Amino acid sequence: VRIQLARHLLDRQIVDVDGRLVGRVDDIAFAIDDEGFPYVDCLLTGQGALGLRIGGQIGRLLVAVADLFTDDPPVPPRRVPLHEIARVDSAVWLRCPAASLPPSPVETWLRRHLIDRIPGSHRASG
Amino acid sequence: VRRLLAATLGILSAIGGFVDIGDLVAASQAGARFGMAHAWVLLVGVLGICAYAEMAGRIAAVSGRAVFDLVRERLGPRVALLNLVASWLVTVITLAAELGGVALALQLATGLSYLLWVPVAAVAVWLVLWRMRFELIERIFGMAGLALLVFAVALFALPTDWAGLGRGAVQISSAGHGWSVYWFVAVALFASTVSPYEVFFFSSGGVEEKWNVADLARARSNVLIGFPVGGFLALSLVAVAAVVYHPSGTSLTSLDQVARPVATALGGAGLAVAVLAFFAVTFGAALETGLSAAYAVAQYFGWQWGKRVTPREAARFHSVLLVSVLLGVLMLMTTVDPVQLTEYMLVLSAVVLPLTYLPILVVANDRNYLGDRVNGRWNNLLGALFLLLIVAASVAAIPLAIITRMGQ
Repeated sequence: VRIQLARHLLDRQIVDVDGRLVGRVDDIAFAIDDEGFPYVDCLLTGQGALGLRIGGQIGRLLVAVADLFTDDPPVPPRRVPLHEIARVDSAVWLRCPAASLPPSPVETWLRRHLIDRIPGSHRASG
Repeated sequence: VRRLLAATLGILSAIGGFVDIGDLVAASQAGARFGMAHAWVLLVGVLGICAYAEMAGRIAAVSGRAVFDLVRERLGPRVALLNLVASWLVTVITLAAELGGVALALQLATGLSYLLWVPVAAVAVWLVLWRMRFELIERIFGMAGLALLVFAVALFALPTDWAGLGRGAVQISSAGHGWSVYWFVAVALFASTVSPYEVFFFSSGGVEEKWNVADLARARSNVLIGFPVGGFLALSLVAVAAVVYHPSGTSLTSLDQVARPVATALGGAGLAVAVLAFFAVTFGAALETGLSAAYAVAQYFGWQWGKRVTPREAARFHSVLLVSVLLGVLMLMTTVDPVQLTEYMLVLSAVVLPLTYLPILVVANDRNYLGDRVNGRWNNLLGALFLLLIVAASVAAIPLAIITRMGQ
């Protein structure tokens, strides 16, 4: 079965098993098996991956902004292994919670240095 | 009774979401300079925003996805990024204008300079978004926004020539200002009626409240009642300015002048109600534009967004929100006149309109997202006609602004 990867996967929202938003499919990583056939290895998400995919000055700017808000740049893309994907429709639904994937470096940095320092950050306003 | 109450509250939110600083400025300006000659623009604008808000609501209810969420899938990351940057900037400028409106209303109420009120207004807006149950605030301000009805009431106390108003709405003339100025004001009024943030906000709110197909009828009736009532309020602003300022052809430059006819007609109590209304509609719109700016960015990148999760779980969303509010304050602190800022904001809004409305029309026809709830023939006809108008307004906005030197 030939899946049109670009149409069905790229830029889709990734949602975890609890309905939390993980990120978008910013890029797709391929690998080559023992017989030399390329296969989809995992989905990549993160501003850095998007910047590399877009390329040019705009892409570099996206990467630079991501690197600015992290403790140890460069920010690697977050990898979502294929076996965690439950189904794909207008979004990519995972079978695991977001917490079991590596956290987003930028989200973590902003949480630690900005949002957590403001009183009330642990309560939803509803 | 409870269901009726819930329906009323939804309608109130829609009214609050419709009228903002742009309407206060553009509608009064149009009335003062051209009488009722722009009434048709409000009518067309309300029809269009109803059609598109219905589509955006349907997309949110059926697919569970907000408008900006889908823009990137449909347009690809590069074009969508361009769209994002333009929409975000215009939304932040709108936020600044709304904050300026809040501060001007407070200046009218207290006599203290609006510049002192800008930081206070910004902190209050941010606090509501950070801490409070947003629906409650939205409904309170929606209800308080109804105080704008005082303009309709004032028409009865003023020496209103009703037949003359009616004639002015039908026999359109450029009142000696020239047609390019007429069309410039028309584009600004149109942009204030169909501001893009209204759609971002409406569809993201639907997703947050987890609308499904069963909520469609309610969402639809909120829009179909609330937006026309908002349009009626804007029309009464046009009419009051037409009665009081049009005979002498005065051009309005301050919010104070917008409120003055109400004070003349109904005295101090009338003025107080008008100022309360200004405060309520601009504060409500500041909340919505602040959220909309952050929604657009978070949805493009796929970040966790929304008020249902704790801020620490949506750190990037809340950081963008904070930066947007701060930028709005900085813009006002350059001491740019908030009314002028509103006029520039309306021109820029007109330019970016197609970036919001075209994707909605495309997605509303996509069976991958909507199944058999895609647009019908009449929806598409209305949507396409309205899109033509939007594109025309978008193309004409900057040339008209230059030719007329911002409508002077």
